[in-house]
Amino acid sequence: MLSYLIRRILLIVPTLIGATALIFFVMALAPVSITDALLSREGNLQPGERKAREEYLNRRYGLNKPLPVQYFRWLNAISPVGVKEKGPGFPASWKVGVKWPDLGNSFKQARPVGPIILEALPVTLLIQTISMPLSIAIAITSGIWAAKHRGKLQDVATGTVLLGLWSLPVIWVAVMLIGYLANVHYLKWFPAAGLHDPRAGSMSFFPGHGSAGYLLDSLWHLVLPVTCLTYGSFAFLSKLTRASLLDTLGADFIRTARAKGLSERVVLYRHALRNSLLPLITVFAGILPAMITGSIVVEKVFSVAGMGRLVIDSLLAQDRELFLSVATITLLLQLTGFLLMDIAYAIADPRVSYE
Amino acid sequence: MSRGDGNSGFPVRPAVGYAPGGAMSDDLPLRRTYLQHVVHDTLVPVASRLGLAWVVCLAFFAVTAPFIANSHPILMQEAGRWSSPMLKSLEPADIVLPVAAIAAAVLLVRRKLSAGQGLGMVAWVSAVTYAATAWPSAPQYYATLRGARLELMSAWAAWTLLRFVGAMVVMMIVLLPIFVLPRRATMVAGACLAPLVVLTLVFPVRPPELVVYERYRQKEGSGQITFVLRAMVPYSANDRLRDQPELRLTPPRRGHPLGTEPNGADVLSRMIHASRIALSIGFIATGIAVVVGVIVGGLMGYFVGTVDLLGMRLIEIFQAIPRLVLLVAITASYGRSLYLMMAVIGMLSWTGDARFIRAEFLKLRKEDFVQAAVAAGLPLRSILFRHMLPNGIAPVLVSASFGVASAILLESTLSFLGLGLVDEPSWGQMLNQAREGSGFNWWIALFPGAAIFLTVFAYNLVGESLRDALDPKLLKRE
Amino acid sequence: MAQPLLEIRDLTVGFDTDRGWIVPVRNVSFCIYPGQTAALVGESGCGKSVTALSILRLIAEPPGRILSGQVLMEGRDLLALPETQMRSVRGKDIAMIFQEPMTSLNPVFTIGDQIMEAILLHQHVTAREARDIAERSLYDVGIADPGRRLNEYPHQMSGGMRQRVMIAMALSCKPKLLIADEPTTALDVTIQAQILELLRKLQRQANMAMLLITHDLGVVAENADVVGVMYASRIVEYATVEDLFDRPAHPYTEGLFRSVPKLGNLAERLATIPGTVPNPAHFPSGCKFHPRCHRMEGDAKCGQIEPSLREVAGSHWAACHHVPNHASSPETSPRLDHRREVVAMATEDLGADVLPSAKEYRP
Repeated sequence: MLSYLIRRILLIVPTLIGATALIFFVMALAPVSITDALLSREGNLQPGERKAREEYLNRRYGLNKPLPVQYFRWLNAISPVGVKEKGPGFPASWKVGVKWPDLGNSFKQARPVGPIILEALPVTLLIQTISMPLSIAIAITSGIWAAKHRGKLQDVATGTVLLGLWSLPVIWVAVMLIGYLANVHYLKWFPAAGLHDPRAGSMSFFPGHGSAGYLLDSLWHLVLPVTCLTYGSFAFLSKLTRASLLDTLGADFIRTARAKGLSERVVLYRHALRNSLLPLITVFAGILPAMITGSIVVEKVFSVAGMGRLVIDSLLAQDRELFLSVATITLLLQLTGFLLMDIAYAIADPRVSYE
Repeated sequence: MSRGDGNSGFPVRPAVGYAPGGAMSDDLPLRRTYLQHVVHDTLVPVASRLGLAWVVCLAFFAVTAPFIANSHPILMQEAGRWSSPMLKSLEPADIVLPVAAIAAAVLLVRRKLSAGQGLGMVAWVSAVTYAATAWPSAPQYYATLRGARLELMSAWAAWTLLRFVGAMVVMMIVLLPIFVLPRRATMVAGACLAPLVVLTLVFPVRPPELVVYERYRQKEGSGQITFVLRAMVPYSANDRLRDQPELRLTPPRRGHPLGTEPNGADVLSRMIHASRIALSIGFIATGIAVVVGVIVGGLMGYFVGTVDLLGMRLIEIFQAIPRLVLLVAITASYGRSLYLMMAVIGMLSWTGDARFIRAEFLKLRKEDFVQAAVAAGLPLRSILFRHMLPNGIAPVLVSASFGVASAILLESTLSFLGLGLVDEPSWGQMLNQAREGSGFNWWIALFPGAAIFLTVFAYNLVGESLRDALDPKLLKRE
Repeated sequence: MAQPLLEIRDLTVGFDTDRGWIVPVRNVSFCIYPGQTAALVGESGCGKSVTALSILRLIAEPPGRILSGQVLMEGRDLLALPETQMRSVRGKDIAMIFQEPMTSLNPVFTIGDQIMEAILLHQHVTAREARDIAERSLYDVGIADPGRRLNEYPHQMSGGMRQRVMIAMALSCKPKLLIADEPTTALDVTIQAQILELLRKLQRQANMAMLLITHDLGVVAENADVVGVMYASRIVEYATVEDLFDRPAHPYTEGLFRSVPKLGNLAERLATIPGTVPNPAHFPSGCKFHPRCHRMEGDAKCGQIEPSLREVAGSHWAACHHVPNHASSPETSPRLDHRREVVAMATEDLGADVLPSAKEYRP
């Protein structure tokens, strides 16, 4: 089991390298050179500052070197295992070892990238970690219900409604929700922006003293963003649960279970469900990218300062440092998600062997 | 209740269609081919018929957009002279689309040709029309090329390519009707479409001409125009109503059934024109995804081993990158071009199809008929594409239908984020304007958003129906 | 004469498909006596599996439906029982094993879990005792090292072993009747013999009745006491196994025996029954076999009136107009309390390899 785990983790590395290489080269081959864009934006730089910037860029990226070298310099800087010091003459005076990843400095915000990401990451993770279990729970319950009432009117109607939910664009839902439900002109049921009340710093955690409290206030702010992220994946997963359950219920071993005299409830929840949840695990890994896309839109519409907004802002500001780091972290999160799904599947299905 | 026929009085309905599998029967012959049966089954549910109806509706709007929503009048009389500004303002694409649609409709009704031959015929008609309409503007394009700084290839190479392509087109126009009908229809279709693609790519985008839309309204107001016949929606997508600034950002009213935008343009007209972008991106991006996916997946599934390992790494890399992130990165770095967007969306969506085809081919290569084809010495492309592919294409068709929906969603999201096309209207970009100004512009949020939703829903309905029709297990599962 | 253990009267089962009603079991009646092995023979699609599943009411209600009939077990009509009581019949009074051992066990549970589930459901024992019973059952079916096997998953076992596990599971609660739906069709020939041998031995030990569904006449010859031949949803012949093999009455049974190639018989062509099995959606009128029958000789009656199952000789029922005495025989439902003469078979001496020895198993 341990060797399987280590092998899977190691397999992430080539995928990560490949994907980051793709992003890096795509951006580097752009018709407008990054340096020109960076330096021309801040057109009124003092000659000294401009020189310093150019030197920094050259040192970090080796902009006068060929592209693959640039990529590896950046990769080396960002990875926790790499070359620490480079003297003349490879490899004698090069020290290779474990080091802190150096994510660089953001140009737009004039501070290191690390803290910027550390501020934004928990926000996005908070929304995701609330949405994912919620959508799974709703999906499984509704999927089981639909499978039990298969063929009847409520099942067919629910199926079409779910398909419609899945087809609703996040951009539309977010705009409509915020336009109607968070608008002083219509219904102001929910707040329009951000995740916290401006006075959150001075609030107590639980309700009391005349204010709702930090916890409830956060939850109130989270309702709309979480709704936007949940409805799509739960609709998809629900249909999948139903289909998978119906598939499993037609299997031979279910007939055996019934022939043993087990009640329909036990057959459904003990025998059928465990088998039908297996394909769900693999599919769920495919939903992760959609959640990232969704969080980009949701964070923009609801003015939440998370990773998604960082992606867009950094690109629009031509802040290559920040964008590359953000993209890499996002990739890493996603690949970790895939890995966790694989492990979960290997644990859940005894037919999968760890060789 | 019993219409007895010797079956002890139980209700009996005659079995229609073809005989169920299992026990052999010699009474009911097959009445339809498999493809016809699949198409029929897909269109049985009401929902998928509605979905298809919406798509057809949308296609109609996309094809006829410049004719039904245009500020240029169809016909006008100015100072005694008749003229048709609309016809003069048409681009080659505006003419090719209706012609191709009519050709396709005629072929569908007449049903004299097979699917492949019909496709070839439509492609030939499109190529001829395009050449005929684009060639008069050729001198203008030559001039632009001479002045343009092409980084990808030198101006001389571009000239040579143009002349070569021109010669091919002429040959095609003259010789092809002889070859279209008998056989090799797919090759013909490819041969027709290739120069079309090259032509559109090589010719740079026409520099935006400054069109003064309001002059028609002003001239009519001042009496210079004596007779005018306007399009149904008398506003172009880019007509910002500069002569009527008070009509900016107004909710639905007379004259503007869906309201106006913050910069003055009519919402209905922009929505009609935006359907073109939506449909074309959907089809072409998915087409690219399917072609690339089938080729990669097919090779992986057939030549297992190193090819399979490498291919799986490639698939993992492409699947790992969130599509929107890369799309945004490319658009921000390379500029906004319709073709670039189509290509990128296509190149980010092929992994699903590749996996399906790989799984199918892995199963199929052990089948007897494939072994027989190999033993008979058939060429590889014949084995892959004529024998194995038709048997394994089913999940890809389903995935393609859902893929069109997801491509449209992706493009809308990109436009919503402000990174979409600039000149062409797009539903996503319109949705972004819903929050401009002081309040919530409900008409700009509702209508374009509903259009995106309905289109995506329609494709998903058809895709679901197609999946149910192709699922062999559905016969067991009631 | 003893009372029958299970009596099926006029059972008719239909399926409502979107291509019309299909009735694969029509007016089927017969009896099984305690300790007897009754066989239902027929080709694929004749309705024997549906009959077996209907006894335990395992037919999916939509689209299937039991249209008429009774299934009396020791006097109680199983078809009229409420579901809760039916569940205590399944697995406890009547157990069933199926054709495909590869897919009949749940892949995510150990076989120990699955056997104990059945035991704990029907017997009041603790978990520890249930485990012991399960281990004992595995030993009884000839699986070596049963303690370790209890913790294994189905995919770790071969087809023959899985079928033994199924048998162990079915017999763990000592049912009175075992329904075996083609238990050996999916197995190798050598394993077939072992499994059938095992079933016979266990049956004799527990005096358990068995309903054996098969299409293999060889299996019938070695294992059955009484045989019912099914064709196109009806029983067309019912007799003791000796009678059936010596004097088949129905033309279909005749055709079946004729088409079995015999050793030493130099024939250039194998005999077949012309034509094919009819589509259940389109049964012929009158006698269902008449389009293929060689006895018909243009008799219009065969195409119009369906012959009923009648006792044409003592302990022999047939449904054919052209069987002697058919018209004058009483129309009764078959009941035969018959056990075959036990012929000492050579394989019984191999019991030491195939079956556990007589001494007590000590875990």
